[in-house]
Amino acid sequence: MNLFAPSTHLLLVILLPLAGAGIIWLLGSRGLQTVRQSAAITAVLTLVAAAWLVLRYLASAEAAAGQPFAVLSVPWLTGGIFDIRLSVGLDGLSLWLFGLSALLSLTAIMVSWDAIKEGAVGFYMLLLLLEAAMLGVFAARDIILFYVFFEFTLVPLFFLIGIWGHDERRRAAVTFFLYTLAGSVLAFLGLVTIVLWNASHTGSITFDIDLLTAGLTQHPLPMDAEGGYLQWLVFLALMVGFAVKVPIFPFHTWLPLAHVEAPTGGSVDLAGVLLKIGIYGFLRFSLPMLPEATALAAPWLFALGAFGIVYGALVALVQQDLKRLIAYSSVSHMGYVVMGLFALEPVAIEGANLQLINHGLSSAGLFALVGMLYERFHTRSIASLGGVATKAPWLTVMFMLFTFSSIGLPGLNGFVGEFMILAGSFQRAWTGVNVGLEQSYLLLALMGVVGVVLGAWYMLWAVERVFFGTSRLPPSHEADGESAESLDLRWHEITALAPLAVFVLWIGLTPASFLGPPAATVRKLSLASSEAFNNQMHPGGVPRADQEHDLITHAPPPPAASVPQPDSVQELATVAPSTPAAR
Amino acid sequence: MSPSFLLVLVPLLPLAAAIVTVLAGRRLGSRAHLPAVAGIAAAAAVAFVLLVVTARSSGGGEHPRPVDMVTTLWQWATVSEAYEPTADSAAAVPGTAVGTDAHAARPFSIAVALRLDPLTATMLMIITGVGLLVAIYSIGYMHDDPGYPRFFALVAMFVFSMSMLVAASNFLLVYVFWEAVGACSYLLIGFWFQKPEAARAAKKAFLVNRVGDFGLAIGVFLLWLTYGTLDFHDTLSPDGTILPGILGQTRLADVSGYVGGAVGTAICLLLLLAACGKSAQLPLHVWLPDAMEGPTPASALIHAATMVTAGIYLIARSAPLYMACPGALVTVSIVGTTTALVAALIGTVQNDLKRVLAYSTISQLGYMFASLGTGTLLGFTAAIFHLLTHAFFKALLFLGAGSVMHSMGGVIDMRRFGGLRKLMPITAATFLIGSLALAGVAPFAGFFSKDEILASLHQKGWPSAHGEHGEHHALVPRLPETAAVGPTLHDVGYRGVADHGEHATAHAAESVGLDALDSPAVWQTLFWMALVTAGLTAFYTFRAVFMTFTGPLRVPDEAGHHAHESPRVMTLPLIILAVPATLAGLVLFTTEGLSSFLAATPSFTAPAVAATAAPAVFHWDLALQGTLAAALGIVIAAVGHLGRRSDGPQLERWLGPVRPFLENRMFIDQLYTAVVIKPVEAVAYLAAMFDRSIIDRLVLGVARLPVSVGNLVRRLQSGLVQRYALAGVVGVLAIIVLLAWRL
Repeated sequence: MNLFAPSTHLLLVILLPLAGAGIIWLLGSRGLQTVRQSAAITAVLTLVAAAWLVLRYLASAEAAAGQPFAVLSVPWLTGGIFDIRLSVGLDGLSLWLFGLSALLSLTAIMVSWDAIKEGAVGFYMLLLLLEAAMLGVFAARDIILFYVFFEFTLVPLFFLIGIWGHDERRRAAVTFFLYTLAGSVLAFLGLVTIVLWNASHTGSITFDIDLLTAGLTQHPLPMDAEGGYLQWLVFLALMVGFAVKVPIFPFHTWLPLAHVEAPTGGSVDLAGVLLKIGIYGFLRFSLPMLPEATALAAPWLFALGAFGIVYGALVALVQQDLKRLIAYSSVSHMGYVVMGLFALEPVAIEGANLQLINHGLSSAGLFALVGMLYERFHTRSIASLGGVATKAPWLTVMFMLFTFSSIGLPGLNGFVGEFMILAGSFQRAWTGVNVGLEQSYLLLALMGVVGVVLGAWYMLWAVERVFFGTSRLPPSHEADGESAESLDLRWHEITALAPLAVFVLWIGLTPASFLGPPAATVRKLSLASSEAFNNQMHPGGVPRADQEHDLITHAPPPPAASVPQPDSVQELATVAPSTPAAR
Repeated sequence: MSPSFLLVLVPLLPLAAAIVTVLAGRRLGSRAHLPAVAGIAAAAAVAFVLLVVTARSSGGGEHPRPVDMVTTLWQWATVSEAYEPTADSAAAVPGTAVGTDAHAARPFSIAVALRLDPLTATMLMIITGVGLLVAIYSIGYMHDDPGYPRFFALVAMFVFSMSMLVAASNFLLVYVFWEAVGACSYLLIGFWFQKPEAARAAKKAFLVNRVGDFGLAIGVFLLWLTYGTLDFHDTLSPDGTILPGILGQTRLADVSGYVGGAVGTAICLLLLLAACGKSAQLPLHVWLPDAMEGPTPASALIHAATMVTAGIYLIARSAPLYMACPGALVTVSIVGTTTALVAALIGTVQNDLKRVLAYSTISQLGYMFASLGTGTLLGFTAAIFHLLTHAFFKALLFLGAGSVMHSMGGVIDMRRFGGLRKLMPITAATFLIGSLALAGVAPFAGFFSKDEILASLHQKGWPSAHGEHGEHHALVPRLPETAAVGPTLHDVGYRGVADHGEHATAHAAESVGLDALDSPAVWQTLFWMALVTAGLTAFYTFRAVFMTFTGPLRVPDEAGHHAHESPRVMTLPLIILAVPATLAGLVLFTTEGLSSFLAATPSFTAPAVAATAAPAVFHWDLALQGTLAAALGIVIAAVGHLGRRSDGPQLERWLGPVRPFLENRMFIDQLYTAVVIKPVEAVAYLAAMFDRSIIDRLVLGVARLPVSVGNLVRRLQSGLVQRYALAGVVGVLAIIVLLAWRL
């Protein structure tokens, strides 16, 4: 076993949080300080190891070829028709989400520093278990492992919400658990059907995702009455499971409840990473394995995404609880991702894939900051807060930064994804759908743009009420008589937020370096569905650039000498006098 | 140092200043202005060098050579093979891809590229020049403010963003900095965030601008879909073919390179919506008067001289796009002229000095729009000419108002002070110069630029009076053999017709309903509206002058014993600005320096624009009409306000019932509240109720069913979470170990 092999490295990253959890259990009696320090050290080590792995991926030959990296596939049950292996690895799709999980786990621990004093041992153990599960979900390359880790993300969060949550934590925990469990059971049924269908054609039972994708490409699930609409049924089963996770309207009601009641650390992981598993599932399973069904459902999901954008924004507009407002903003923002994904246009899909990360950063930052406000003022009510900017200027600066990221201010990360999603959606509406559908598609794309205006409305309204003006808090709430200085960010809070802020700016300024690595993988995974959708929209395979262009009489091209060549010639002064025509 | 390096320096220096101020602001204390002032001053010096460089390479003369230099800094985003041009999209125009398939898939490729051309050089000079004077002035105005470093950081940040906006060579990058200047504006309006009015005004400004940005975003999407690129300049793809940029020389040289009809008009109207937001034109003008809650120097820089002119810049830059859509062009003029008149009317009854100036800004920007909409070279250059002179005299007026406010202890209501000319002679004298320029009195700057705008409108209304060059040129001449690939679409359809034979014939007849507005009768109406506005402008300007500076000395209590002329650091910028406010018009008009310089801007060398070039003639009759209107306005203001302070302004009594209508800003804000805000909020409440009572109930109903839930909940109370956590850890660990063991 080569300790420096990428696959060992990958296992080590998933193992580290578990080791940390074990250490916390052993040191539990030593008191709060030891426990939270161990948790923080574990998270930092995991983050460093994960970042290192990401860098190794980026430098690898596999990345350049769009192949999975650090693949480890060990036989578990082989022989006869069984070819069951457990395999892990990273590819372009999982790369950033894997890194994001490691990053946000640190944030989740740092924001809990002062907030969690009761039962800290269990709390931090669960957070680290959650981290291992999140890392595992994105690293899994077979269905068994994926499903195991998928379920393992539910359990820690159920306890985190149910025990360390706020007043209605029981109801929130149960709603969350039932909703996602029901969804994931259906998804599992769908996945098992895929496995069995593949086995019936290839003669071996395998859970390996790559093999299954290849198998289903060769022997697609039937989409007709003869085959019992099997592909369609499997798609629906997976869709329910993933749609609940995302969440897509109308499966979203667990989300505001869970968020409002969850402790800050739980909210950070929930909004930042767990919501992404749904979209990840769509991209990993539905799009490559069930292209015809995806193409058939795409207009509906596109519409649900667009509707969710406006619906989530409208509901956010009237919330009085700041955390609830941000929870509904998540519904709205995930609507963009759904819309971009099911536009099935390259620009939109790559934008949606980036928007996953962007939303992870901005919503995690905002939830963390709401938690910090709650610790200081013991309220989340927008009406009773006010004038925070004078008391905690740096906290305000950070909140403004994540707000601007969330409402898609250019130069920050949120803009890039939003813009690409909408550009791709318009492209689909304009050129890529049947004549009867284009009006509806255009209208839906416009709804997406309306969401941009509404998003600024509710976020800036909240900022104005909470941070500007003068304080509306009764004197007794004024932070327990502490001096103004102590109300601003503390060191552990800076540790929680600063890394997110760095990425908010980094992605915003050079999105190309974040769009590049996943591009090939995402394109490969979405290609089948895009093509199926294009065929469905243009039956008979009429390409978009229609054939008649050869008949067009082209005017002679301008003489080569007068043609400017901007990219090769960096400086292009006074080129070619354009002849003033028609004087 | 190469021009491209210098071009990058212009935005870079203020950006560096902003960063230094943020990092070291507290330590610098009362010297926190140093980085910003030094950075902007250096940027202004560089901008001047660039102006000279650009002027030299354009050469001037009868046929100006287009000048543009493009510098690519880094690749912002790329998605390969994202766009396949359809036969009916303009991306497929001949010359698109020399020697290769015109329909090959294109990348979605956005580079951070800056350009230098006459228009950009002019804008950079205005931004950094006015920015520098405002920064110097702010040393005096903002001193002792607790947010002193924050103010200078934001001003430097704004100068950076605005420089990038006018130097960007890509529609997406324009959009980026379009919003970035909006964010700076938001932060500066809300600078005194403790004041609820300021916080509200900041939010309002951002949201109204977002509505405009909505137009820009969709406009950019349509540009991408129509032209297959968002670059202004031509780019070279890896396989050696030329991708023509939207405003690149390849497309500019092609008379049928631009889309007209429904799609073209839609693009132009969406860009107009964006411009209306940023430049505070009807119906999106409502944010600018409220923006006066911000510090006065910020109002002078952002809400008078520079940011609000971004809309003018955008339309001027997109001139070739507009030339293909006569209906959109005339709409620009109608919006501009209407705004000019409405804002001037409202401005006549305002008592807050800064709000008078705010409405005046809206009105003057309306003039510029009116001029742009004529779609002639004269109209485009006149708009930029007025933009330039307006930047000087309006910044001067705002800084003068700030000087008054400074010494009046923050009071800006003109009814509460008067006769200040003795108290603050420098402010009074420079304010008077600014007012003469604004009112359009010869030979001050505003006279010449306003005269050119009136001339451009007159030329459209009475073409025969302007000789052969004044012919109606709004429709692009199209060569028959290329018309077949002319990229227009039928009806409001989003897809071209497949039959290209029909396409060609349809093309010539193609017009949209708006095009009918492009008639002399409409232009004549617009001309008269503009002339009336000129009179109103002179009236409200001198009403403000008389109320503030003439009559017996009156000072509000808030001023205390400190009512005096402002310190040197504040009056010096006033004096400096008074020079161009006096002379810029005369010099630039008589030498034709600006118009011939600007004519070398690529956008203005498009055949459709260049064909409208007419020799500059000074129209004595128009100048006389403009001067008479101004004189009339000043006389009425004098009658109404001079020496009658104690009686109250009797002039306003003549207005009767119209006065409350105007004082309430024609109830436009109330209208928006009733028609937009309240309904949206009502729908939002309904949605929230629906969410809580219907969707949530459904879920809870389902949740009650399984009894096992009870067991689940009971476990929560067992207090043995650690054990569950440990079980989980062990379980996952087992999987990992299994994996590792089999390695």
